[in-house]
Amino acid sequence: MHTEAIDPPGVQWLRVSPKYVTVRLVEWAIGNVVMLAFLSLPLIFVLLGWWRWPPLWLAITVPAVMLVLALWRLVLIPRQVRAIGYAERDDDLLIRRGIFFQRTMVVPYGRMQYVDVAVGPVERSLGLCTLKLHTASAGTNAQLPGLPSAEGARLREQLSARGEARLAGL
Amino acid sequence: MSLESSPTESLPGKPEPAVDGPWNRVHPASPFVRGWVALAAVGFFFGRDAFERMLQGRDFLDPNLSGRVPWLLAGGAAVLLLTVGGFILSWYFTRYQVAAGYVRVNTGFLFKQQRQARLDRVQAIDIVQPLLARIFGLAELKFEVADAGESAVRLAYLPLDQAKQLRATILARAAGAVSGPETAEEIPEAPEHVVLSVPPSRLIGSLLLSEQTIGILAGAAVVVVVSVLTQNQTLFLALIPGVLGIGAAYWNSFNKGYNFTAAISPDGIRLRYGLLDTQAQTLPPGRIQALMVTQPPLWRIFGWYRMHVNVAGYGVSGSSEGAARTMLLPVGMKSDVLRMMSLVLPDPGVEDPERVFTAGLDGISSVGAESTPGDGFITTPRRARLLAPLGWRRNGFFATRTALLIRSGRWWHTLVMVPHQRTQSMALHQGPWARRFGVADLVLHTTAGPVSPRVFQAGVEQAVELFDQQAARAREARKRQTSEQWLAQVAPQSPEVAATIPAQPAQQQQLADPTQAQTSPQQEDRHDG
Repeated sequence: MHTEAIDPPGVQWLRVSPKYVTVRLVEWAIGNVVMLAFLSLPLIFVLLGWWRWPPLWLAITVPAVMLVLALWRLVLIPRQVRAIGYAERDDDLLIRRGIFFQRTMVVPYGRMQYVDVAVGPVERSLGLCTLKLHTASAGTNAQLPGLPSAEGARLREQLSARGEARLAGL
Repeated sequence: MSLESSPTESLPGKPEPAVDGPWNRVHPASPFVRGWVALAAVGFFFGRDAFERMLQGRDFLDPNLSGRVPWLLAGGAAVLLLTVGGFILSWYFTRYQVAAGYVRVNTGFLFKQQRQARLDRVQAIDIVQPLLARIFGLAELKFEVADAGESAVRLAYLPLDQAKQLRATILARAAGAVSGPETAEEIPEAPEHVVLSVPPSRLIGSLLLSEQTIGILAGAAVVVVVSVLTQNQTLFLALIPGVLGIGAAYWNSFNKGYNFTAAISPDGIRLRYGLLDTQAQTLPPGRIQALMVTQPPLWRIFGWYRMHVNVAGYGVSGSSEGAARTMLLPVGMKSDVLRMMSLVLPDPGVEDPERVFTAGLDGISSVGAESTPGDGFITTPRRARLLAPLGWRRNGFFATRTALLIRSGRWWHTLVMVPHQRTQSMALHQGPWARRFGVADLVLHTTAGPVSPRVFQAGVEQAVELFDQQAARAREARKRQTSEQWLAQVAPQSPEVAATIPAQPAQQQQLADPTQAQTSPQQEDRHDG
């Protein structure tokens, strides 16, 4: 993937596993199917003649709009996953994400308070994990989802070691 | 700090054996002072019945009561005994100790809790006196380490002198001035020098001209218009609770901001304020993570500003208590602001700090600013003026050698300052609109608090450059930070404070010559803990 405008020049991004698309698809399916089913209830009730309000057009429009939005998000998922990237520099870790709303974050190793590795059920079945970095700031919402387990473990060890070497107070 | 008395004892060359201090208890009256609400509630509960009876002109006591009196008395006595017994037990089992590197507090008799807070992690230390405690001459000591939310150590209540003594001890040990086995009694309080105070008239004026007032006036206008239009006067009755709430809010601000005094001592910045409940905060040097100066539109008439800070451990300013504690200056003139800035950031990292800070506070770049950067602040490029039609000439940033200054807001003037070595992490944000106009936002992450530094709509090239440079600057600043102990790094503001500095034992080798520490600002921020 080409480097976006807000990325620092000369950074070689590492990508997360393409298998992470599956995780996102499962999440998408669970979220949207429930949502759509719920929003379609009025339509069903109106069609069955149990409800007089809302009018039929409204009962159709709301779930239809939701469906279109959901499908659009579905189409975006592979690109979003490809947009997630990270780069280990000498003193800090760069993390980027997003296509429309892009974010590039730098987390200095010395600032890391602890590193989490979380694995959900879908991720586990695919051999993936999510790495979370915590600093003293709650604003540091640094997550790296969809890392292969081995890479996640390596990164965790690496980050902890580097963090220890450069540990600074607050 | 035992600065003059025993400098030899605390020289780093002679490590003293870590002897822990004795275990102490808080003042015996403290559970009653703390629990007076419970006692008052019990009193209110029983008293109300009798009072209502009297109002209705009936007997003072319920006539049916006579048969049940012994039971009631026994029950009441049991409740009272249990409460008082609980108070005594909780007092007995609350003990604290100042050890070599730690403060330890034990509480609880059924569920015991042992808490240990590292002294080199102390972020701030407060002495709080609620009204009732003040009447009894007691005070609560709050000790913050870097963990948002709960105070690490709360000692309620100690006699005021003892609380001050303990504060001095903790600060002296945290600063590294004292490492030996001195007991609390031997450490005198650090001398301080009052820097500024807020007169009550200015406080009242600032409250009357605050955003709150604008909101109230707007709300009142709406209510009057609606009631005239609908010819419905009962609407005003519905406002009574609102008026009471507003009155309470004003009173709260006045009560908190009254008699605000800032002082500097080798321990750090001392803030004192409060009308009924008084509070004395001590912010050790270099513990301020971020600082914000704001000016609501109406304050511009008198040139007033207010200042807020982020301090790790103070947490979010959701509660009124938190809001008061993160206030560095409730209202002040520009000279006050500059003075506070110089306390927070002894080395501004530029040649003419006053001009730069003034540009940050009130500056606005001229229309053709892109070619001629007048005040040094890099503002939103002209191509993005549609994104921020009002603020584009105001939004800007300026990086000194020691801190990043971010200004924003055309009407609500805001200046945010983040010292480089306090930057936790950073992120560049760019949405679809911003990409269209070739701008990006830079967010600096600091600890929880009222200040959230964000450079709005900087040109992409400048933003990326700043992002890269800032990462490097923060890295450099962190490398220079060698110790958590902040000894002898505050630029002394007065002769009497300055006199104590050479007497302090040299903790770091770089500081072997005390005059050098005062003349070279670079040297000072080297151990900005």
